[in-house]
Amino acid sequence: MTRPLNRTKSIAMKLAIKLAFRNLIGAGLRTWLNVIVLSFSYVIIIWMNGVMIGWEEQAKHDMTNWQIGGGQYWHQTYDPFDPFTLSESHAPVPSELTDAVAKGDIAPMLIVQGTLYPQGRMQSIAIKGIDPKQTVLSQPSHRLDTIVDGIPAIIGAMMAQDMALQKGDRVTLRWRDANGTFDAATVVIVDIFTTNVPAVESGQVYISLQKLQEMTLLPNHATTLTLKNNKVQTPEVDGWAIKTKDTLTKSVDDLIQTKTAGLSIFYFILLLLAMLAIFDTMVLSIFRRQKEIGTYVALGYTRHQVVGLFTVEGAMYSILAALVGAAYGLPFLAWQAKAGWTMPMDVSEFGMAIAQTLYPVYSLGLVVTTVLIVVLTTTIVSYWPSRKIAKMNPTEALRGKIQ
Amino acid sequence: MGKGEFTALKGINLTFGKGEFAGLIGPSGSGKTTLLNIIGSLDVPSDGEAMVLGNSIGKLNSKQAAQLRKENLGFIFQSYNLLQVHTVYENVEFPLLLLNHSAAERKRMVLDALEWVGLTDKIKSKPPQLSGGECQRVAIARAMVKRPSLVLADEPTANLDAANSHNVLQTMEKLNRELETTFIFATHDEKVISYLRRKIFLLDGRVDNDETVKSN
Repeated sequence: MTRPLNRTKSIAMKLAIKLAFRNLIGAGLRTWLNVIVLSFSYVIIIWMNGVMIGWEEQAKHDMTNWQIGGGQYWHQTYDPFDPFTLSESHAPVPSELTDAVAKGDIAPMLIVQGTLYPQGRMQSIAIKGIDPKQTVLSQPSHRLDTIVDGIPAIIGAMMAQDMALQKGDRVTLRWRDANGTFDAATVVIVDIFTTNVPAVESGQVYISLQKLQEMTLLPNHATTLTLKNNKVQTPEVDGWAIKTKDTLTKSVDDLIQTKTAGLSIFYFILLLLAMLAIFDTMVLSIFRRQKEIGTYVALGYTRHQVVGLFTVEGAMYSILAALVGAAYGLPFLAWQAKAGWTMPMDVSEFGMAIAQTLYPVYSLGLVVTTVLIVVLTTTIVSYWPSRKIAKMNPTEALRGKIQ
Repeated sequence: MGKGEFTALKGINLTFGKGEFAGLIGPSGSGKTTLLNIIGSLDVPSDGEAMVLGNSIGKLNSKQAAQLRKENLGFIFQSYNLLQVHTVYENVEFPLLLLNHSAAERKRMVLDALEWVGLTDKIKSKPPQLSGGECQRVAIARAMVKRPSLVLADEPTANLDAANSHNVLQTMEKLNRELETTFIFATHDEKVISYLRRKIFLLDGRVDNDETVKSN
């Protein structure tokens, strides 16, 4: 019994699709207006989500290159959000990792508090000691090998702007050594680098690791040890905590999740407008097409089958919209993925890892999910007013007398 | 008026045989459309029994009633009730789609039906492009395409001029004779009445007179 019943249902569905398609195409401009509005929803939702995914990938990529590498060891007391612990957050590079450091697979970094005096102003900063020969991070540390009259230092572009410093400027730097004694020297800005990761430049000055170790009387000490990639062996080391790449990029995930949730409101409004148009069309359609509904019943449809027909008709808006959206959306989305979306304002002071130009990244999952959500929503919105048909008296519907 | 009940038909006892060309005749409110709707299983009697092709209309559920209409009944309406966005061909094809005929079979049957009503040259036209007479002939083709046992026609000539009225009536009479399809009309149009072979006069929901015209 099941097979013939399923076959009957399948035939009824095919017929409903065929009729709904004819009805929609026959309705002309009314159909295409709804379809175009709905297709905008598809394209914009996919594009904006693509931008968010692209941003996330770019942020993680930049963080990897500039800040976290393939993961890090942190001195056990190191807390990047608590400057008061910084003076205690260092220890000699563990013997288990010295080979990897020598091979260049791990980049040690010593971080101490200091004060910079640009143009007579006093500015608290973090002094970061980095090996000029390291290749783990993208900071142009090799520039620290420059011979100048002072301590060579590099800073980020945003930092340079904030401190009104330029390449070649000389500025006084003060720090405390391991004994708590204050000392000061002149640093020379030998390079200014540009990065999308504010966390590696804001309030920071980079000098040679060896020089900083000498200045602070902390030979061979480091605060963090950055791995070149995730293939580097990471044995448990006493006094050091392993921070995986995933742990360190969690902040980006959280940020994107928050932004995506915020954007959902926008998607909701966009979808709501499209759904309102379809709901309105369906309500009007059911009112205007009473005779047609009565005719379907007279010709052999049950009222529930007519409800199904109208629901399919409504849902088909979303299918047509997907096709129309694909027609103009695919070239647009492909072009955006290649050319990127350049934000109209300067993003360097946003305080987050964001590039001026974001390159949207689309996945099959994103497209399929968007299509499913829109089709499902449209179907529900179409079914809602269509239920009224089930309560219609066919003889009154035939005469078009239902108010 | 509120929810007050109105009895549209009282004491009706009628039997229709195969191949009849009969009409329910009466003024507005006489109950002819109500009776036609009950016969067509679009409505159910609140009392009594209506048997159509062996089915008790009051006892059919909506699926069974729909099945009865789909397989055995054809309807012709005063205002044609054609599907406006569909072509003539698609309108006539519709009942066959519901009956799940093959594409080739549908094509043959639709073209046959359009030939009966003389509209083979209009298959690609849509109802808004047709005259009233042509629309009603499409409706006849749609009602007849599946070769139903019974065709119910509610005021089929009310929107037609005299020439078109005679044209569609002649078409229906011809189909009635050739295919032995039973036709039941609801009408008060003299032109229709003149074609009927059985005339059932209704007045205030009762049968006032039931006369059969003797054929020459």
